[in-house]
Parts: sequence; structure tokens; C-alpha cells
Amino acid sequence: MVRAFLKSPSGLLSLAMVLLLLAAAIFAPIAFGESAQFQDFSRVAEQPSAGSLLGTDGLGRSVLERLLVATRLSLTLAVVAAVVALVLGITMGISTVVMGSRARGILLRVIDTMIAFPSILIVIVITVVLGKGTLSVVIGVGFAFSFGFARLASTLAMSVGGREYINAARVVGVQGPRLLWRYVLPNIAEPLTVAFSLTVTGSILTISALSFLGLGVQAPQYDWGLMLAEGLPTIYSAPVSALAPALMIAFAALGFGLFGEALARAFNPLLWTAGSKRASVKRVARRDVHEAGPSTQIDSASDATGIATKGKPVLEVEDLVVTYPTPAGPVDIVKGVSFTLAEGEVLGIVGESGSGKTMTALAVAQLPQFPAQVSGRVTLRGNELRTMSSKQLDKLLGTDLAFVFQDPSSSLNPAIRIGPQLTEAIRTHKKVGSKKSNEMAVSTLTEMHIPAPSRQLKRFPHELSGGMRQRVMIGKGLIKEPTLLVADEPTTALDVTVQAQIMSVLDEVNESHGTAIILISHNLALVSQSCDRVAVMYAGRIVEELPAGQLGEGPLHPYTRALLAAVPEFGHPRDAKLASIPGEMPDLSATPPGCAYHPRCPLATDRCRTERPELLIRPDDVTRRVACHVANDDVSEGLTYQASSAELV
Amino acid sequence: MATSIEVAPRTSVTPQSRRGLLETLWKNPWVGFLGRRFVGLISVLVALVLLGFFMVRLVPGDPVVAAFGSEIPASEIERIRGELGLDKPVVEQLTSYVGSAIHGDFGRSFTTNEPVGDIIAARIGPSLILAGSALAITLVGGILIGMLAAAWTNNGRHPRSEVAFGGLTSMAGAIPDYVWGTILIFVFAVSLGTLPASGSGGIEYLILPAFALGLPMVANIARIVRVETLNVLAQDYTRTARSERIPGWRLYLRHALPNVLTATLTTGGLIFAGLIGGAVVVETVFARPGLGSALVTAVTSMNYPVVQGIILVLGLSVVLINTFVDVLLGILDPRTLAKRQ
Repeated sequence: MVRAFLKSPSGLLSLAMVLLLLAAAIFAPIAFGESAQFQDFSRVAEQPSAGSLLGTDGLGRSVLERLLVATRLSLTLAVVAAVVALVLGITMGISTVVMGSRARGILLRVIDTMIAFPSILIVIVITVVLGKGTLSVVIGVGFAFSFGFARLASTLAMSVGGREYINAARVVGVQGPRLLWRYVLPNIAEPLTVAFSLTVTGSILTISALSFLGLGVQAPQYDWGLMLAEGLPTIYSAPVSALAPALMIAFAALGFGLFGEALARAFNPLLWTAGSKRASVKRVARRDVHEAGPSTQIDSASDATGIATKGKPVLEVEDLVVTYPTPAGPVDIVKGVSFTLAEGEVLGIVGESGSGKTMTALAVAQLPQFPAQVSGRVTLRGNELRTMSSKQLDKLLGTDLAFVFQDPSSSLNPAIRIGPQLTEAIRTHKKVGSKKSNEMAVSTLTEMHIPAPSRQLKRFPHELSGGMRQRVMIGKGLIKEPTLLVADEPTTALDVTVQAQIMSVLDEVNESHGTAIILISHNLALVSQSCDRVAVMYAGRIVEELPAGQLGEGPLHPYTRALLAAVPEFGHPRDAKLASIPGEMPDLSATPPGCAYHPRCPLATDRCRTERPELLIRPDDVTRRVACHVANDDVSEGLTYQASSAELV
Repeated sequence: MATSIEVAPRTSVTPQSRRGLLETLWKNPWVGFLGRRFVGLISVLVALVLLGFFMVRLVPGDPVVAAFGSEIPASEIERIRGELGLDKPVVEQLTSYVGSAIHGDFGRSFTTNEPVGDIIAARIGPSLILAGSALAITLVGGILIGMLAAAWTNNGRHPRSEVAFGGLTSMAGAIPDYVWGTILIFVFAVSLGTLPASGSGGIEYLILPAFALGLPMVANIARIVRVETLNVLAQDYTRTARSERIPGWRLYLRHALPNVLTATLTTGGLIFAGLIGGAVVVETVFARPGLGSALVTAVTSMNYPVVQGIILVLGLSVVLINTFVDVLLGILDPRTLAKRQ
């Protein structure tokens, strides 16, 4: 922790500043205590010179000497006030834990109200009663700042009070003050230390302000605040006598403030590592992306885009790579994905979490942001996105592509009503007027089976149920009349009963508008029902693509088969073990050589361990592609690839 | 007993419709919210009036002697004590104090014999103008700088700018308003001679104090705004907005800003009440007539009636500001209403 503190530049700097101030507080009064009082009327309001570094004030006294001497009083008062605040605050805070719930409620409310009051007003009230001077300022500032401590101590003590080790201590018979002293206090000491150093900062500022106002330190004693008050009237003739104490106050505030912040960071290792890790993420050069990507593997463009589909292609994706920089170097999250989607077709992309399916969908919509890098060719309705200007891109993607995200409760803006959110895209990109767009919104919501649509437009997302929100999300896409709708796990965040409704809404959209859909899901059963075709992703690549109807008859890739076997069936015997795939999907930064699935594959051969299988169109069935040596070799050798699911799992 | 039972059905029509109205009122989150706020306001107001009353009674010795010194004749002391009601029993003093306070009467200044109400009325305008302009500077500057910094450093871009921003704002935020005032006076009044160092008058007298009061708040709010903006930009709904390919300004102003404002007000709302305290000091730095400088003069000269009046007004404005922030939060984000119930 100490090392963490010293390692941060602000920690080191603030430590030096605080030490300098402490040195001045200790030694300056001994060295200059008397000469600083000496009024030399022959040297009134002198400018700074080599002889006297900061010049003299209106009474011919050395500004530098007085500034340094004043450090002791300024710091002493601030520290004493902070101690008063600490003691008062902890007493108040801990007593909230001990007292009854009604009294605690009242005390907490009083504490909250007092925190909201500017401390300087509270201190002024105290000085009215106690009279001006150092004593009342110290008491006043201590009182004013005690409420912050009280709140902190109360929160901490309550959270600590419920912990297991406190209960354990109680059971053993530790009670009362000993429990507080030995068990509660040590656990709340760290945040209190941080708060204390920040309170010292606040005290310096407030006490100086009060001395400046003439309510604090009284002449012939002097602190920085009083020096400022004395110097300000002569700022035209002797500017330094006002500037120097002002800057000294700022210096002290900065020193103690940074010290407190650095302390807080050092105490909280989470904050610490997060900051340093982010700083070390380096920019990835464009060149690296291509080196890291497997783009050299696939050459022929038409082959790469995949299976010939019936109808005009809406979307062609070719060698899509998404790279993300990590401290260990750039990692490809999507490693060269290619597929084609025809008009009105529904493609399911299935895979475990981390397989890159969501990233593929986001990359199609050009959504990954810096520092992620996307490369590869995406063609939407014949427009190759890479070649378009950003203005054309906005128009095309803003109207022709709709995205439905996983969690409707977080994907709709909580501060904007449903109506404007629904119609934003058409108002922006199609310049639809507000009246027309409102009508369209109502008819879209009606189509989404949302009751009382015109009333919903005026509501906020949080006033709608989860299923309603997801329908709004789909409607928000549909209102643009897009050619392609990408739905990323649209039902995962919803209740099972609502899931079916959302899926049927998507089916309707596809049927009545002919919208092509990419449905991302980890749920094979769901995908097989709603999709025309299914692509299975594993470790950033498509490993198999086939018509959804053929899923039941037997996919070729061992991973797809294992996935299928892992789908629990209704009426599955309760005592029988649920099938699962042994092992885990590899970390994308450390994909094994050869086939990424080979460590988990019961059919893996030596070749699978060294040579990565290509995603090849089946010569026996051009509607299917599979990336598996075993499956593809069987065909080339004229054998039918047969392996029962039981064998695989 | 029996008759009352028979009567009941006949009158049941009105209570039902009334119940309907009450129910709608009860269901509206604003009713409960404003009701609680109002109760809170009233209790603080009562506390402030009591504070003003006991503040003077707590002064050790005789407040009149403390204020005027023991040199003035005893008859004069008695006269002022009678005027303040100090010669009556405490309970009676309290009721008459509260009674006149309700009518806005806080007595007369010890020094000028002016009614305290008049003094406050004359000073409240300049103070409001100062606090209002500082608030405007804070909101515009803080939100603009914070959001620009967030846009510039989003996703770990420009890490050096991020460090510079952090350093500069924590420095500017740590320097108190009266030090800013001194620096501004030195730069713009003493060195450049472009703006007056003190006094009151046209807008040229307002600029320096408003910036002195506003600058540290700009820095603090900008820091909060930057963090909150980054937070909002990382939210799913921002991704949704980006998927719509709307123009950048629209993304920031229409989608991010309301959420940033809500979050900023929640964490930074207390900063605004600090304006009141800051104004007290800044008015003295710039020798600006206002409630703050009047309060300081009154406290120094132990002019208790004026102190009582101004403390009440300033305290009330702190509570009003905090209430206003809460109401604003309720408008910006209706979810907070439900949460606070």
C-alpha cells in the first residue's frame, strides 16, 4: 500500500508538498518568529528582489518570513479543527448504530441536512455565539465538518456491524467498547484516514476564509487568511503581499488534497490497478490487425462468402476480423467470418458466450468502437461499406439495418419517451415530419401487439414491462422498414413466457415485411424453430453452416453435434445426467493450434492438432459448410461420416 | 347506532368520487415527493428561526453590552433591551420573536436603525445576480468542458489529455474562490487594468466575482460530468443510439446529456448550495454590496438583528436550492421519485 502510494506521481508530489509545509510549520517560527514581526518603515511595500524574495508588505515586514511563520498557526488550527470534527463525528456516527431506529432516523436526517449547509455559514453562526477568534473558529469548523465524519462513520459502522466476524466476536462474548475498539474501528480506519486528510484540506480553506473575513485569527497573531486580508487593500502597491498568502493557501490545499486522493487510491487497490491497466493498453497499428488475422487463408472471394443462397443477397460478409488490444497484445475476437444472407432469409448464429457471435453482429453494423478494429468486407444491398463516405454510411445503416439488443431494459434510453425514441431514425434519416412519424409509430406499435399504442408513446421505458420494451425495440427497428434486422439474443433477458411472444413477433416481421433477420442466440432449439439457416460459431470462427431443417438429421461438426445433444429434452429422466460438453472454450488470446475444438473433441486426430480445418462447402450438399478434417475427409474418401451423438458426448 | 348504518348507503356516492380523486393524487409520485419536501422545508425553516432566536440568547453575558460596549448609559442599554424584548421571560420572547418573524419583521439594525427587512431587500438583488451568474458559468462551463473531455478521452483515447484534464481540474477545484478572486484581481485589475478590482455598478463589476465564485465549481462539475458522460457512453442505450447512426451532436445532446445531467445533479447537487457560502467570502474580496458582505459586517460589529435576518435568508436559500435540485432530478428522471419513496 505504501508502495502504491509512492508509485503514483501525485502521491509522491503531495507527500513532498506536505513535508515542506510541515518543515515550515516546525522551523519557520523558530528562525523568523521575531524578525517577521519587525516593521521597517523605510522599506514599505517593496517589490520582490534578491535581498527579500517576496518583498515587503504595507508595514515594511518581510512577506516571505511572515508567510512561513504563519504556516504553523494555519496548519495547527486546521489539524485541531479536523481532530475535533473526527472525534465529534465518530461519536455521532457510532451512536447512530447503538440507538433505537426512530432516534437514528432523526439523527441521520439532521446529519444529512447539516452536510447540505455550507460549512462557512455554520462557523459564522458559531462565531456569533462564541465571539470571533481562533477558539470559536476551531470549534466552529470542527462542528461543521463533524457531520461528514458522522455520516461516514455511521455508514461504515453499520456495514461492518453486520459482518460475520463481528457476529463471531459477539458470540465469543466480546462486548461494548472493546468490540468497537478492537473489531469495528480497525475496519473503518482506512476510509476515516482518507476523510481526515481531506478534512484538513477543508479546514485550511475554511479557517483561512474566516480569518480573511476578520472572524478568525486576530492580530497580532496572523495566519495566511489574515495576511490575505491585510494584503488585499494594498494589492495595487504591493501585489505580492496579497498574492503570496493566496497562493500559499492554494498550495496547502493542493498538497493536502492530493495527499488525501493519493491515500484513497493507495487504500483501494481496485482503483489502482484499473487505472494502470487502462493506461498500458496500446494502440494497435492497422498492420498488426492483418498480421494477426487469418486473412491470407482464404483467397477466392465468391467461395469465401459462403453457400449460394436462393434470391438476391442482402448481406455479404467476407473475412470479417475484429481485433481488440489487450495488455498481452492484440487479440482477434472474430477471426475471419464469411457468410451470405438472401432477401427475407433468417440466419441463426449460434455459439457459447465468448464464441464471437455478438461481436460478429456488431461488426456487421459497424458498431465496435476504438480500441477495437474491424477489417473485412461487408456488403449491404450491394453497397460495400468500406468504400462509402461516412455520410452515405449513416444513411444506409441508419435506415436499412436495424439492431435489436439483448437487454431491452438497458438498451432504451431511460430519459427519453418511447415516441421520440421510436421515430428518431426516420426523423433523422428520412426527414419524416413529426405528425407522420407519430402515425407511423402508432401503427408500428399496433403491429407489435402493444395495447393503447398512442398512450405508450408518451411513457418512459421504465413504465413498460420487459416484453413491451423488447417489442418497442423491434418496432424501433421495423419502423425504418429495414432490409436487415439483427437481433442479438433478443429473448435472453426476458421471462420464458414472454420469449415465445417476442419470437412470434420476429417471425411476423419476417413474413409480412420480408425483412431478412440475423438471429444471434446460444439457444439451439430456439434457432432451429425460427431460422432458415444456422451458422455455428466456435472460438471466433464459423465451424458449420447448414439449413435449419437439417439440424435434426445430423450436423457434421462434432461441436454442433455436442451442442445438440446438450439440449435437454422435455421428459428427460430426472435421474439421468444432463449432457454437457467436457472442457471449456479456449481463451481467444490463446486459441490452440490446429482446430480450436480439438482439445474437447473425441474424434480429434493428429492433423486436427496441427492444421486448422477450412470451412468448406460440402461437395455432396452445397447448402452446407463445415470446418472439420474428420467430416470433410470422410466425404473425400467416399465414406459417409457417421458418429453417433452418444459417442461424442 | 342503527340509524347511522341506514344513513351510510345514501351518502356513499360522494365519498366514493372523493376517494377516486384522493387515490389518483395518492398514486401520483409527485404528491408524496413534494409533500415530504414541503415538510422538510418547514422543519428547516422552524429550526432556522429558533436558531436565530437562541443564537443571540446564547451570547455569553448581555448581547447589548457585547454589541455596544459598557460605556453607553445604562438607560440606553435598558431601552435597547426592551426593544429586543430581552427583559421579558424567554417563552414570551420566543412567541413575540416568532410572531414578528412571520410578518417579516426582524427588528432594526443596531448601527443604522434601518429595519432589517429593508437591509435584506436592498442587498438580496446583487447577491442573487452574483450567485446566478456563477451558477450559469458553472453549468455551462462545467458541462461543456466535462462532455468535451469525455468525448475526447472516450475508450481510453488520448490518455495524456486525460491525465492533463485530471491534474488541471483537481488543481482548479482545490483552489478556493477567494484565492481565485485574488488571482483574478491581480491579473485583470492590477496587471491588465481591464476590469475593476472592487465595488459595484455595471456588468464589468460582476465578471471577476462571478468567475472567482464559478471557477472552482466549473472544475469540480467538469470532473463529475466527464466521469458521468463516460459512464453514459458505455451504456447499452448509447450503443442503441449509435446503431441508429444519428449525428454525433444528437447523440451527445439528446441521448447523453439528460442522463449526464441526472447523474451529475445526484452526485454534484450539494456543490450548488456551496454557492451561498462562497458568495459570503467573494463579496468581501471584491467589496461588493450583498447579503454576504452585510452578514460579515454585522457579525463583526455584533449587529444581532441583521445577523438573525440574513442567516435566516441564507439558510433558507440553501434549503431551497437543494429542494430545487431534487425537483429538477424528479423532472429529469421520474424514476428518482419512486426510489425516494
